[in-house]
Amino acid sequence: MSDARLLLAGIVALPFLVIALSYAPVHVERLRRFAVGSAIVMLLAALVVAVSPSARALSIRSGALTWVPAGEAIIRIDALSAVLLPFAASLWLLTVAVTPRASLDRGGLRRTALATLVTLVSFLTESAVVLLLLSVASVWTFLSALAEPAHRRQRRIAAVYLGCSTVIFGAGVALLISPGMQGTIRETVGLWLIVVAALVRKGIVPFHAWVPEVFDHGRLGPAILFTAPQLGAYITVVLIVPRASPEMLRTIAVLALGTAVYGAALALVQTSARRACGYLFMSQSALVMAGLDCTSVSALAGGLLVWLSAGLAFAGLARCVLVLEARRGRLDLTRYHGGYERMSVLAISFLAMGLACTGFPGTLGFVGEELLVQGAIDLFPVMGFAVVIASALTGLAVVRMYFSLFCGRSDPLTHSGLPLGLKRREAWTFGALVVALIGFGIAPRPLVDSRFAASNEILQQRRARLAKVERSAGASPRTSGAEDTP
Amino acid sequence: MSAPLEWLVLVGIGSPAVLFALLAATSLVNRPLPERWTATLAGTAMTVACAALSLALVLHRATGTGIRLLTYGEWSASYAGGITLEFLVDRLSLAFAALSAAILGVVSAFSNRYLHREAGYNRYFVLLAMFATGMLLVALAGNIAVLFVGWELVGLSSALLVGFFHERPAPVSNALRVLSIYRISDAAMFSAAVLLRHLAGTDSLALLFSGVSVLSTVGLTQTSATSIAVLLIVAVAGKSALLPFSGWLPRAMEGPTPSSAVYYGSLSIHAGCFLLLRSAPLIEHSVVARLLAGGLGAATAIFAAITTRVQSDVKSSLAYAALTQVGIIVVEIALGWYRLAFVHLAGHACFRLLQFLSAPNVLHDLHGMEDAIGDRPALAGGLVDSVSGRMRHRLFLIAIERGFVDSILDRVVVDPFTRLTRRLTTLDRWLCDVVVPAERPRFAEEGEDQDE
Repeated sequence: MSDARLLLAGIVALPFLVIALSYAPVHVERLRRFAVGSAIVMLLAALVVAVSPSARALSIRSGALTWVPAGEAIIRIDALSAVLLPFAASLWLLTVAVTPRASLDRGGLRRTALATLVTLVSFLTESAVVLLLLSVASVWTFLSALAEPAHRRQRRIAAVYLGCSTVIFGAGVALLISPGMQGTIRETVGLWLIVVAALVRKGIVPFHAWVPEVFDHGRLGPAILFTAPQLGAYITVVLIVPRASPEMLRTIAVLALGTAVYGAALALVQTSARRACGYLFMSQSALVMAGLDCTSVSALAGGLLVWLSAGLAFAGLARCVLVLEARRGRLDLTRYHGGYERMSVLAISFLAMGLACTGFPGTLGFVGEELLVQGAIDLFPVMGFAVVIASALTGLAVVRMYFSLFCGRSDPLTHSGLPLGLKRREAWTFGALVVALIGFGIAPRPLVDSRFAASNEILQQRRARLAKVERSAGASPRTSGAEDTP
Repeated sequence: MSAPLEWLVLVGIGSPAVLFALLAATSLVNRPLPERWTATLAGTAMTVACAALSLALVLHRATGTGIRLLTYGEWSASYAGGITLEFLVDRLSLAFAALSAAILGVVSAFSNRYLHREAGYNRYFVLLAMFATGMLLVALAGNIAVLFVGWELVGLSSALLVGFFHERPAPVSNALRVLSIYRISDAAMFSAAVLLRHLAGTDSLALLFSGVSVLSTVGLTQTSATSIAVLLIVAVAGKSALLPFSGWLPRAMEGPTPSSAVYYGSLSIHAGCFLLLRSAPLIEHSVVARLLAGGLGAATAIFAAITTRVQSDVKSSLAYAALTQVGIIVVEIALGWYRLAFVHLAGHACFRLLQFLSAPNVLHDLHGMEDAIGDRPALAGGLVDSVSGRMRHRLFLIAIERGFVDSILDRVVVDPFTRLTRRLTTLDRWLCDVVVPAERPRFAEEGEDQDE
């Protein structure tokens, strides 16, 4: 077994270890420590994979799940997935490190490890069937987190939306992988079905209503872990972008841009911090989707970069809300909560991550949005204006949340003895995330170059596939013509 | 990058940026530097910036070069489409940058004593360093991306300093209001950039602001030049508090006096004028844009001149007085009197800075003056005295309500936006109810909607 395979096996084994240990009679806090350690090891190993050229050549192909003669990569590491592995590991680390003790349980840590495993393996495959199976697994994991009676309604709502999305995805995959479908109308129908499934999963208008509802009244932690990796975006990149017609991509981009503005505008007026987070997620995830549906190299690279920055920044922002809720209860944005002086690190982290979400200069999000706008400007100038409006509204929504949650009143003296500050583990995690978001914003070249490489690979695949379809379409009349000729 | 000019500009911009990074990093780890260290570092950074940029100005004058574009390489990517770090150097940009650095140095020294032992001392200097970095980037930006970075840093630091005394609700809600207008301004400027890139295929300010025939250089038509110019004027109006965005100016006075001085007395409020001055070669080609700028400037100057007379606190009065001069500067630019406009801008920035910084002493000074002359100083009458009683009453009402600018904006923009977004929120809830009907009446949640 090569070094890359060994490393990859090690990465995948870590969540398994946490899942196995969760069944053993270990104290939950000790289990959390083990999970944090595993997440750190996974992050380091994933970073080694990301920077190692030999690891990126790994590909395990099989013809078992496809009719394509050359088979497809069941497991592979390419320019796209190499950076998504540390991204998934970071989300796991963030989740296990800052989950408040009150909401920490064995089942939660197990589900978190399982969700990470599903995300990780999803990022390693380009097989439609494997992606479908993993999609089912991730939806099941998410719904099982909403099993408590208090979240029954939100569970049903999520089940309806995500269930439909999975069924439609399944139908689309079935049409896509059927033999002899390439370039036919049935392949197009299959692609449209997959598009709809991805739109539902990402909460793109008009399939979005479940997102704010689940964020608001469901469980915020599992919702963050389910949405932040943006598997819908991955499905779009792997299955749709290489095959879709320009019209299909344009339709997705228009819907996504509308959602980006819609989500940002609604986030601005929400009275609940959780619901505002839901709309912010919709807006950010839609920007990613809009970038992915551009056929320009730099716009696509911008979209891939926004995916990373928005995913991490949004997850961090929502985790800040969760940490704050653990100290204060449900957060209402109609009044000021104060407390900056006693939670200054949390307040600064919240603001920094919020600004990274909005693409503020000096953060990774800015570089991504800049590339997105610059790349799309010739082909699709509307995108530039939509990004501008969405970014302006998101910025305002984030600062409004910051003011409401940390400013506006002085701490009552009677409660001045209560320890509200962050624990060391939380402070280090939020601090590291902010440093990463700003560090890559100030020195973005290695990451941007890797996204350009991924973008080039995806567009080359697209060009090769379209050329093949054109050749076969060109060959068909000739063939029929040949058949006509005796 | 061996030329001394390039090094001087880099040091000039780099020193406040390094200060900002250092102070922000210590805040993030909750280990703020002691006051003395902060003051020393801030003073050193501003002095170095001022000296480097002044030297750069002298060097530029001595070598007699016109506009130069200093390129420091691709910042964000090795591929085409990334952000290039480049600065535009000419007499105007270097003079404004040197002036800004000098003013920031003075304010930094003043703030050290003014905010001594204040709870937010470190936070104040973080934001001041952020502002200094942003202001110098705005002054020297060589392309739209760099200009936008500076513009955003100025805007955010401004809003956070308005809300500096954040344990009270009023500064915080006013800060949000200020930021709302700034975001409109930012959106207008970025839209102008998008339009410029789409129509001309460039984001280089060197081409746009070169002073030679802009339309032929970048291939813009008359209509497209007008559209870009109008968007830039909206951006300027937001940043410089021109009508109809003047309502944020008195709200911004909630911040500490040194920040009011540097933002709304001298630098930030003139950033819009500087941008207008910078983009004069483009605006020259559009009669509509010149008329719009001139009209807005004149209306703002008259409105602010009337309003300043009835303000009941010295900072608001000074803010409107500053706005009067800003309006006049905009008119001068619209008329094409660029040199006069820049001299006016520089002089006014310094004068108003002094007035703002001495504002907390105004009663003490007045008492000293009364003691010296043995009587109360005579109040100036002027043009308003010649207005009839009824007209004067109306003017008073308009002035005391600050031109009803805020309530008009609320009625025309904020209220319809809020109504629409609330209805959409209700629609989203209804969509969930359709899928899974609610199990019990949701009185509490309906109440939540009405609260906002």
